[in-house]
Amino acid sequence: MSDLILQALYSGVLAGGSYALIALGLALVFGTMRVINLAHGELVLLAAYIGYTVESRLGWSPVAAIPFALVVVCAAAACVYGVVSRIRVDREINSLIATFGIGVILTNAILLVWSADVRSTSSAWLQEAVVMGPLYGMRGELVFFGVSLALMGALWWWLAKSWYGRAVRAVASNRDAAQLMGIPPGRTELVSFLVAGVLAACAGVALYSVGVIQPALGGALTVKAFIITVLAGVGSIPGVLLGAVLLGVAEALTVTLASSALQELAGMGLFLLVLFVLPNGLFGAVRRRG
Amino acid sequence: MRRAYFPALLLAAYAGVPLVLGGNAYVMSLIDAALVIGGIALAWALLGNLGGMVSFGHSAFVGVGGYASALLTAKAGLPVPAGLLLGGVGAVLAAIVMLPVLRLRGPYFALAILAYAHIFRILATEWTAVTGGAAGVSGVPPLPVIAGIDFGGKTGAYFVILTIVCVFAWIYARVSASHYGLALRAMHDSEDATQVLGVNSTLLKAAMLLLSAFMTGVVGAFNAHYIGFLEPDYAFAGLWVTLPIVAAIFGGYRTIAGPLLGAVVVYLLDQLVFKTLISSGHQLILGALLVAMIVFSPRGLLPLLTRGRKSDAGT
Repeated sequence: MSDLILQALYSGVLAGGSYALIALGLALVFGTMRVINLAHGELVLLAAYIGYTVESRLGWSPVAAIPFALVVVCAAAACVYGVVSRIRVDREINSLIATFGIGVILTNAILLVWSADVRSTSSAWLQEAVVMGPLYGMRGELVFFGVSLALMGALWWWLAKSWYGRAVRAVASNRDAAQLMGIPPGRTELVSFLVAGVLAACAGVALYSVGVIQPALGGALTVKAFIITVLAGVGSIPGVLLGAVLLGVAEALTVTLASSALQELAGMGLFLLVLFVLPNGLFGAVRRRG
Repeated sequence: MRRAYFPALLLAAYAGVPLVLGGNAYVMSLIDAALVIGGIALAWALLGNLGGMVSFGHSAFVGVGGYASALLTAKAGLPVPAGLLLGGVGAVLAAIVMLPVLRLRGPYFALAILAYAHIFRILATEWTAVTGGAAGVSGVPPLPVIAGIDFGGKTGAYFVILTIVCVFAWIYARVSASHYGLALRAMHDSEDATQVLGVNSTLLKAAMLLLSAFMTGVVGAFNAHYIGFLEPDYAFAGLWVTLPIVAAIFGGYRTIAGPLLGAVVVYLLDQLVFKTLISSGHQLILGALLVAMIVFSPRGLLPLLTRGRKSDAGT
């Protein structure tokens, strides 16, 4: 039994890596534009399906799909920005509805192009078991956990050191002041969407490489990313990683101890608990929601 | 609104539509379904307009309302009209569970309620002892025959859903005109200022959520009896959110007539035009319509059309 729980913890941590990437993209855009991109999960799913196409048509490893996914998903993210930036009245409500509409468009486009079938990778290299003591993991899970950590490190460096990263943080903390300091807010917001697109593209390919995908998955991914940001509190990369790992572990434990059908309820339970007990998130400083 | 038109409009809806179209079962079924969407769109718009909250979780209320009524009538033997009301009560109970999300604002609220909708669908699928699980509930009793009129038929059901929608529109108008409506509109401008004046904003928002849930639940219950079958994927389908939102935005969600007219136009367009263009992914066009409306005319088409006439209408 303890072996099973240990295994669930391990799988949960591995799953947390790509969850964190999805949540960081959502949080980054929310930070700069105060807009929750409800189509974010669909962007991730789009990358996953590009991974499928590259594997099934070209016969390459899904990992090789990342450049293609980057191009397509960043273009799609730029389109989302194009729509959201045009909204002038009731920005908060209307941007939600508009990105919800984009989510509907993407879900149905995916349905049309790739049909409703459930897909998963056929790469033996990615699915091969890697044994570490009593713990089993798929090689794909380990590879993409490493990729996730590297990306998070790169994101941290970018936000802390690069000009655009600092511009993103400046716009997030005070848009008007940032504009007065000569930072173009529009372009900075576009950059935050593009970076979110990069994160979504990698997370999507990871999703396809280690699990099953279907067109209806997008909404659940957005909800998961949101639960993580509630758990973590917006603003810190390690916080998001911890929140994501917590969600992954909660899901894996539910699958092990109860039933796989209740997997999504685990995240929800965690979310409600935090909502009731710690409204500022686990690692959040004092901040307002919305 | 121009009150003089109301009696004529009601007469046309109650007598004109059944007389002219009543013989065509297909057209009547389209209109029934459009009114179901219209009822949900109205409830959604009430929450959005008066409560200032965007919900992506109304499919939860549709599903819970449908399941509550279907199970209470099919298994406990309650009469169907009572089931419709209890469907609304069931949705209110679901909304009470959601009340903690009122602590959240804007996007956080919208996503939290979306998450709730996921929970309810999982519950309906997994709680097999009560709901019958993924196989669904069959043999949901149809709407009854009263005084020789078969309310289970396409035309009879039309009268039922039309009455439900009209009553809801009337309630909406009364709430909007009351001093609660005034307080809610004031909250839309500044919630803090309204609280300072002694308005219990959380209580008012909760009331709007419960009212909207009740309306949606009744419509969901009606639909369950009208269709005669329920399964989790249908009862909690994303379509119950997408179509009403598109309808409400299309018609103008800050008006009362907008969501209803929007529902009729959008649903008929969807079924008669979009579905023939793209059979499996026709919601794609709905999504595009939604985005286009938000970008180019976020207040909807109805205010756009009536804007020119506002001066001579004397409002």
